[in-house]
Amino acid sequence: MIRYFFRALRAQLRGGVLLFALSLFGVSIGVASVVSIQIINLNALGAFRGSMLAVSGSADLILLGKMPTLPETLYPEVLATPGVAAAWPLYRVDVTLRDADPIVLEVIGVDFFTAIDVPWEGEAVDVSAALGQSGWVAVTATLARERGWSVGERLSVSIGTRTAELVVGALSDFEKATPLASPRLAVMDIAQAQSLLGSRGQVDQIDVKLVDGVDEAAVVAALDRKLGTKAMILTPEQREEQAADLLSAFRLNLTALSLISLFVGGFLVFSSTQAALVRRRTEFGLLRSLGATHRQVFGLLVGDVALLGLAGVAVGMPLGYLGARANIDRVSATLSNLYLLEEIHQLVVPPWFFVLGAAVGLAGAGLGALAPALELGRKDTRSLLAAFSLHARVGEKAPRWFAAGVLCVLAIVGVYAVAGDRWRPAGFVQAFLLICAIPLLTPWLVQLATSRLPVRSFGLAYGVKGLGRQLQTTPVAVAALAIAVSMVVGVTTMVSSFRDTLDIWIERTIQADIYVSTPSRRRAASHATIGADVIERLKRHPAVTHVDRLRQFFAYTNGRRFSLAGVDASVPVDRARFALLEGEVEELPRDSVLVGEPLARKEGLHVGDDLVVDGPDGPVSFPIAGIYYDYSSELGSAFLHLDTMTERFGGGTVASVALYLAPDSDADDVVDELRVAFQATPLSMRSNRGLRERAMQVFDQTFAITRLLRYMSLLIAVCGVALTLIVLARERTSELALYRALGASRLQIFRIYLGKGLGIGAAGIALGSVAGVAFALILIYVVNRAFFGWTIAMHWPLGLLVWQSAIVLLASSVASVYPAIIASRTPATELRREDL
Amino acid sequence: MTRVALVLSLALAAGEWRVAVPEYPWSFPQDHWAHDGYRTEWWYLTGHLQAESDRTRRFGYQFTLFRIGVLNEPVELDSDWASTSVIMGHAAVTDLASGEHVFAETFYRETPLLASFSDYPESRIGWSRGPAGTEGLWSLDWNGNGFDVAAVDTRQGMSFRLETNADKPLVFQGPGGFSRKGTDSSAASQYYSFTRLATTGEVELDGERFSVRGESWMDKEFSSSHLGENQVGWDWFSLQLDDGRDVMLYLMRTADGSVDYASGTLIDGQGVAEYLTMGDFVVDVLETWTSPSTDARYPSRWRVRLPSAGLDFELRGLAADQENRSRLPGRVYYWEGAVEVSGGVTGRGFVELAGYGDGNRPPV
Repeated sequence: MIRYFFRALRAQLRGGVLLFALSLFGVSIGVASVVSIQIINLNALGAFRGSMLAVSGSADLILLGKMPTLPETLYPEVLATPGVAAAWPLYRVDVTLRDADPIVLEVIGVDFFTAIDVPWEGEAVDVSAALGQSGWVAVTATLARERGWSVGERLSVSIGTRTAELVVGALSDFEKATPLASPRLAVMDIAQAQSLLGSRGQVDQIDVKLVDGVDEAAVVAALDRKLGTKAMILTPEQREEQAADLLSAFRLNLTALSLISLFVGGFLVFSSTQAALVRRRTEFGLLRSLGATHRQVFGLLVGDVALLGLAGVAVGMPLGYLGARANIDRVSATLSNLYLLEEIHQLVVPPWFFVLGAAVGLAGAGLGALAPALELGRKDTRSLLAAFSLHARVGEKAPRWFAAGVLCVLAIVGVYAVAGDRWRPAGFVQAFLLICAIPLLTPWLVQLATSRLPVRSFGLAYGVKGLGRQLQTTPVAVAALAIAVSMVVGVTTMVSSFRDTLDIWIERTIQADIYVSTPSRRRAASHATIGADVIERLKRHPAVTHVDRLRQFFAYTNGRRFSLAGVDASVPVDRARFALLEGEVEELPRDSVLVGEPLARKEGLHVGDDLVVDGPDGPVSFPIAGIYYDYSSELGSAFLHLDTMTERFGGGTVASVALYLAPDSDADDVVDELRVAFQATPLSMRSNRGLRERAMQVFDQTFAITRLLRYMSLLIAVCGVALTLIVLARERTSELALYRALGASRLQIFRIYLGKGLGIGAAGIALGSVAGVAFALILIYVVNRAFFGWTIAMHWPLGLLVWQSAIVLLASSVASVYPAIIASRTPATELRREDL
Repeated sequence: MTRVALVLSLALAAGEWRVAVPEYPWSFPQDHWAHDGYRTEWWYLTGHLQAESDRTRRFGYQFTLFRIGVLNEPVELDSDWASTSVIMGHAAVTDLASGEHVFAETFYRETPLLASFSDYPESRIGWSRGPAGTEGLWSLDWNGNGFDVAAVDTRQGMSFRLETNADKPLVFQGPGGFSRKGTDSSAASQYYSFTRLATTGEVELDGERFSVRGESWMDKEFSSSHLGENQVGWDWFSLQLDDGRDVMLYLMRTADGSVDYASGTLIDGQGVAEYLTMGDFVVDVLETWTSPSTDARYPSRWRVRLPSAGLDFELRGLAADQENRSRLPGRVYYWEGAVEVSGGVTGRGFVELAGYGDGNRPPV
């Protein structure tokens, strides 16, 4: 039987290369989608984890400053805590290289005389140089190679408006110990780091190694008593979880989108297995009549599917890897811009990943083939040799399936009624129900739609009407296409609504004429500050009438990290500064706080509640005067008056300033003038318009990968249309031969098949559009609120949707051309006695 | 591996370091305090103690603060971590009855946060935080007539706080306090001692606390080159004889185990020093002991002959394992232990055996 299997396989391939190629394409793209997204997801935290392990790998506990730094005087107290075997302080600051390619160096100031282990490359490091040579820094050998640096290279860097000259004093090899460590890690002596790049008296982190066998909880409790609200005590695993939490929504959404691709790919496999069954039914009937058992015939089909699955994996895995590589930059930019995490510098694919890929491919192919294979198993020899009666059965079951589909829809509504946006997985449950509902609703709807269709000629309409009779195959194509279309419509609507909402919000929020910050601002956060002298110089520009200062740092409320900003709001503005969702305030109140929607949603805060923030000497409480729309970051944010911030959290430096210009000034011209005037100072200046454009750029970059996934699914679905029509052409050979025998021209048959293609396309679009609306509602009102915490105003991008539908219809027609040609070439001699 | 490389490089930390000179202009008590610009400086107190409540409980102890120069001049940096030196503290207590030897250590860069040396005339000469997991400080103070020391290691249940008072005057080791370590004059130190310091205080060992009384020896050395090029270590003896005399012997060893330079000082009952050269005395090793932890083979019994002084006696370690094994950067190990003098004369003392074991050259 095995020999027979391989001979039959060869024969099949000769007979239907295109069919096989289309099936393979479906499985491969499905596997590639899942694999590429999972590789990206796996590696999204890789650099963060690698860098954490490289620096704090031997630590049992990581103490992180909440303010956001820690007074260094706490370090000796930590060190003296019973149960502590070693501790080392870290001063972290991300500096920007002042170069044509301004990369960020993640500088870590360390005390070389502690237990911290730096893997040096090459000879022993001269510690006296590390301490004594101004700007001494050890960079990774990888980065040095990349940039062509060697020991002695001088690097000009900026942090805020400060600049410093560093000199490469040694090379480190963090990647040897932890392969995922960021090549941009740079190590320097803590004294130099504080003095040249930061400020004295503070550290960012203290790593603690515990005595073997000591009660960790007891030490944590003792440390907690000493540190109070000043620090967060985490194990490295908790630290990683914290970062993973940060990315969970982002990663989950990508995974969900990639699974839809696989799902649609599974439909393709279903169609192709169906096709194999159609093609080989006589062969299987013959085998059975010659004495082959049910199991042997079933085994032949399973073998086919397994081979298809494996071939799909073989093609899909490398494709997935290439897909991940091609998207590194986009995802990296998102990680770095929105989540302030390390960028992905390299992709690592662990061996178990290949097993996962194989499992996904085989399971996808297996599930797709399950129904047809079972159908085959149930058939007796006679019915295999006779024409199919499947369509009739599907036709009978269609109303029952429809009812099940309606139940799914009701369940979606039920889940919303019960859970709303409060239960995070609700959105995914609803999306899953929706995806289940589409194929269940399709057969009956297709039947209904086609039964009412008047047919006046033997052409396009006749082809469309035929879809309702070929229910074993066509609904699969319609459903696959509908799912893909629903995803495209849903995600397009969500992204478009989000974009419009953001645009309006930016318009409302960004009121100053020019915004000034520093190139290192995004990553270096509170370390990147604008010097008071620079602000004074900015104020002196003749066109500048007012200057608003903004100080920002990451604070904690109830263990949640959020951005706390202090603004002096000295400028009278003609509109309210904040677009409020709750509360009524015109100006920033002095003693209360305004809380952004994501933070309010995640913490369940409302106007009248108190926002309790960990302060330098314990919790600090602020009444909430308003909740504002906030799309700046899903981390959450809150605003208070700069003076209040200074009062409650101590003094600090300004991270950015907003300039208001005299009415007759042109912001872009002033930006140009200021750039010339501040040529030597690392400042980044954007006019109101420039900042809006940049915000939109970041937005588009963030959603670029979803666009790719959407179109991947659509591509698979359109292939499904072609596949279905080929199956139909082959399955209905006798019928076509009969038409030909009765005098139908080739053109008429071509038209019928074109009609079928258009019919599938139109039905897929119609059903997909309705489902897409539901999908958009789920994304906007459930998923986004639950995961990101922001309200998006619904906006239907009708033009875009119509254009996309036209493309899908066109693609379906194009996809039906080849099957139509095959069908039209069917000779009347194919007519068999049993078909009559 | 990394840390060893770093610490070893301390020895390589080149620059214009001050070197020991025969005509050093001593000024006391100011010279009890730290001397910047030298690569190495140490305050070494060793002694024998006896519990006041139970005369059978006898202890040997060691307290050392090392200042290891990293930079020979300060760097202008706006940070409390800006530093030119590292401070290393070694402390040990040996229960001479049971032979239990507890060694504790600290290793910190000189910063107001962790450890530092003070300037004369503050009474505090130097201090450091205790080892990780220990509340409390290690300290060395000048009390006007001696040194007060304190060390604590909670994890090991060991601490002591001792006050010492000089019974004999300060004595220079080598003419003018210039102590050569080899034929090459660059290997030398500025060196003086208090050979008899009456000592009282408290010792805690294994959670048991004792009021103690005894006698200590204090050595102070600073230099920038302690070992000659071919030397790998030294045997150092500080002996307090019951006839009132004290003996210090210094034997510098090369890699093959031979002694290429030796010197010493014989101090009479009034504190008058007589300087000894290599031909004036003979030290023969009678027995050895191999450390099960480091595999280093140390001498453990000696015969010492000093014919010009009519001295011929034996020395024996009062406990076999008095090896100090550091777990901190550098991971140095050496034997520093209480010994007793017997034979022609009786007495007691301390012996330091440095540079034993494969590749264990002290980084000084």
